Amino acid sequence: MRAFRRCVLFFVILILMLYGLSQIVNVLVKSGSDLIQSRNKSIAGIQNEKEDSVDVLVLGDSESYTSVSTVKLWNQYGTAAYIGGQAGQNIQETYYMLRTALQNQSPKIVVLETNVLFREQKGVKGIQEGLIQKANYYFPIFRYHDFWKPVLFGKEYAEESFKGFMLRETVESYKGGEYMKETKEKDRISEMVKHYMDEILELCKEKEVSFFLYSAPSPVNYNYRRHNALKEYAREIGVPYEDLNLKAKKIGIDWEMDTMDRGDHLNLAGADKVTEYLGRIWKETFDLPDRREDPEYSQWQKEAREYTQRAEYKLQRMHK
Amino acid sequence: MNTKDTLLDILNDIDDSIDWKEQKGLVDERILDSFCVITLISDLEDAYGVEIEAAEMIPENFNSVDAIWDMITRLQEKL
Amino acid sequence: MAYHKPTYLFLFLPILLLIYQIAPRKFRRGVLLGAGYLFFWSISGKLVLYLIGTTIFTHYIGICLELQESRKKKRLVLAGGVLLLLGVLGYLKYYNFFAENISRMLEAAGSGMIIPARHLLLPIGISFYTLQAISYIADVYWKKIPAEKNLMKLALFLGFFPQIMEGPISTYGQTAEAIFRCDPLRLENLSSGAVRILWGLFKKIVIADRLYTLVQAVFDNHENFGGVIVFIAATAYTAQLYMEFSGCIDIVIGSARMFGVKLPENFRQPFASRNAAEFWRRWHITLGEWFKAYVFFPVSVSGPVKKWNRYGRKKFGKYITKAGASAMALFPVWLGNGLWHGARWSYIFFGMYYFAVLMAGIMAEPVRNKIIKTLHINEDASWFKALQIGKTWIIIIIGEMFFRANGLRAGIQMFQSMFGRPSGNLMTLGLDTADYVVILYGCAVVGLVGILRERNLLDGHMLRNLKLPVRWAIYYGLILAVLIFGAYGVGYQQVDLIYAGF
Repeated sequence: MRAFRRCVLFFVILILMLYGLSQIVNVLVKSGSDLIQSRNKSIAGIQNEKEDSVDVLVLGDSESYTSVSTVKLWNQYGTAAYIGGQAGQNIQETYYMLRTALQNQSPKIVVLETNVLFREQKGVKGIQEGLIQKANYYFPIFRYHDFWKPVLFGKEYAEESFKGFMLRETVESYKGGEYMKETKEKDRISEMVKHYMDEILELCKEKEVSFFLYSAPSPVNYNYRRHNALKEYAREIGVPYEDLNLKAKKIGIDWEMDTMDRGDHLNLAGADKVTEYLGRIWKETFDLPDRREDPEYSQWQKEAREYTQRAEYKLQRMHK
Repeated sequence: MNTKDTLLDILNDIDDSIDWKEQKGLVDERILDSFCVITLISDLEDAYGVEIEAAEMIPENFNSVDAIWDMITRLQEKL
Repeated sequence: MAYHKPTYLFLFLPILLLIYQIAPRKFRRGVLLGAGYLFFWSISGKLVLYLIGTTIFTHYIGICLELQESRKKKRLVLAGGVLLLLGVLGYLKYYNFFAENISRMLEAAGSGMIIPARHLLLPIGISFYTLQAISYIADVYWKKIPAEKNLMKLALFLGFFPQIMEGPISTYGQTAEAIFRCDPLRLENLSSGAVRILWGLFKKIVIADRLYTLVQAVFDNHENFGGVIVFIAATAYTAQLYMEFSGCIDIVIGSARMFGVKLPENFRQPFASRNAAEFWRRWHITLGEWFKAYVFFPVSVSGPVKKWNRYGRKKFGKYITKAGASAMALFPVWLGNGLWHGARWSYIFFGMYYFAVLMAGIMAEPVRNKIIKTLHINEDASWFKALQIGKTWIIIIIGEMFFRANGLRAGIQMFQSMFGRPSGNLMTLGLDTADYVVILYGCAVVGLVGILRERNLLDGHMLRNLKLPVRWAIYYGLILAVLIFGAYGVGYQQVDLIYAGF
């Protein structure tokens, strides 16, 4: 019995230590985004945003942050959006990103770029990822365990982004032609993904947040089989869905100029077009406020102005 | 029939600077390495007319003069 | 689900311990066996049937061996059993290698015939359990052990979950009894097992996985590097391999320990070896022992070697006879050792390299002894030891360089470029100053523990005799070191186990 009590004590102390370290790390996260590594930047960033300031929260993998421009959203519609996307984000990360964001934000809508849904996360791998993300969520020391690098060695990971959006000016054309060829076939969305989606929707319902699905134009990642699967799934869960791969022409995507890596991701020019289209839908459907004149958003406005200039300069260079 | 002394002669032939009778861990202490054992096998077979098989190749059979002698007598009884 | 992954450490192992503890004693064997097959299945899917098939076959051969009266028939059964086991291993592992090389030869000879490559799936750990099965059959044949009547016991021996991926390769006599006994869990075993696992994680996650980036950067683009940086990369790989393999074995031994099973050790401070032969008695010990017992000795008491011994004695004298006999017995060992790692010319070269090094050691021994005698060198003097250990390190590092290189040609090129013009910069290999500092401190900790072990100042009891606060401080220190300085998560690549690929 004594041994058993000792054992319990050991783990209690351990958990207290993890908790303490997590608190220390959180202070660091709040002190600056340059101290945080690439894939962690967006989740650290959302924790640093002013409380209840974000109206649209965009989630997803790299397709999300290359297709929605927070700069454009602000300038055209006055929409305050934040992109919580991560390279190769999987559904477990999406879920915990949302939970983290909802700790001090209450957005009007949560938007998910659908490419995440095709990362299967099956079997042992999926269980493991869930375990890891859970640990990361409850004990941030796991996620930011590299904090000693900036603290002891002054290492910094500088990156220029505005509310999770980076200005990408590379142009590498896509020359594959039409890729959305109609078919009755359908891709599969795995049970594990659906399980986490249910959790996500539940969370949104609880916090009274609307939910919106879209597919960014990307010949590399999308085809009609995926379209069919997504359309059906969106109907199943009762969520609005926009597949921009079918509307690429309508919104004016020019595959010569608007992609940065031969049709995998959009560049700044492509993102502007997608954002103009989606921004209108969001604004009209969800009645989003225009924050441009709001004195609470003066800092946001100031930053946006800076990035607008840079974006204009880059767009000019791209089209030379 | 060859006796235990022949065994000592064979061992001295490998290395005469070792007091073979006193050693109790010939293999464990690496006085006899596996390469010495290979040549030793043929010498023992010739001298005592036994056949030593792979199954006998365990340290316990080669760790001391007595152990080797025990193995030989055991194998001789089998003949 | 590898041993260093969260699924194994925080789900599989704890849940298994729990079920094992709750289950009535008579069901515990079933629990362990089920766990083994589940583990196997989680990596190799339905290829688990190979393991089950091997188990049933081995069981059957064992019983056949015991039933046969005549020696001749026994030999036949032994040969049949071993050949079939090796045949399956050989077919799955080497078919494409030989097909490719024979096709190439045919092509060179002007024939247009091509042996097509096949897509063969290799069950995890086949190289390990096949060796265990062979050792069981051979031991039954030699009557070291009686044939096992209980299929469950043999199945547990071949499919004990900690040993599946990377060994250690144990003999039936070493582990079968302890696994089958299914002792109840004991706190003492649990805690010492857990500490062992922690220590392994430290080696694997803090050091090996951090070194991976550097090693990969140099070995995968070796044309861009020359001079000392190639040697540093080879050293880094040697360190990575050791930290990873021995670290994983620590986790394995620790896991088995939790269930009260003592697995044989696989490493004994290999970098304190004074020559290559000693290195192989301290590195991947269970593989070395296996080759010694089931290849080296059987060959050395075989007809041809005995004949040579008699013939050589008469014609060439002691020195050449011994060298010749050693070569005859060593060659199959090292060819086998090289091939065991996989079907690649660089692995065969790796085996032949050690064959040559060991033969050189045997041949030079008389001269060496004479020099030492005339110069009155004290072999136990520390400077002499240091010199020997240094020499051994260089032999090991060069060997591992060929082992890791992407093909034999790349290995030779890297070896040459080591002496060429220096090019490459340590700071551009994906590691920053912080990484190097962690690696050096980590290696220093492992080295220090190694020295203490080597001098017999450290064993399991020592930790237990420490005062509680000190002991706990060590545990917490290890946990936090892995947690904070581990190369995992964002910014790091996941590194698979190297030896699980063999």
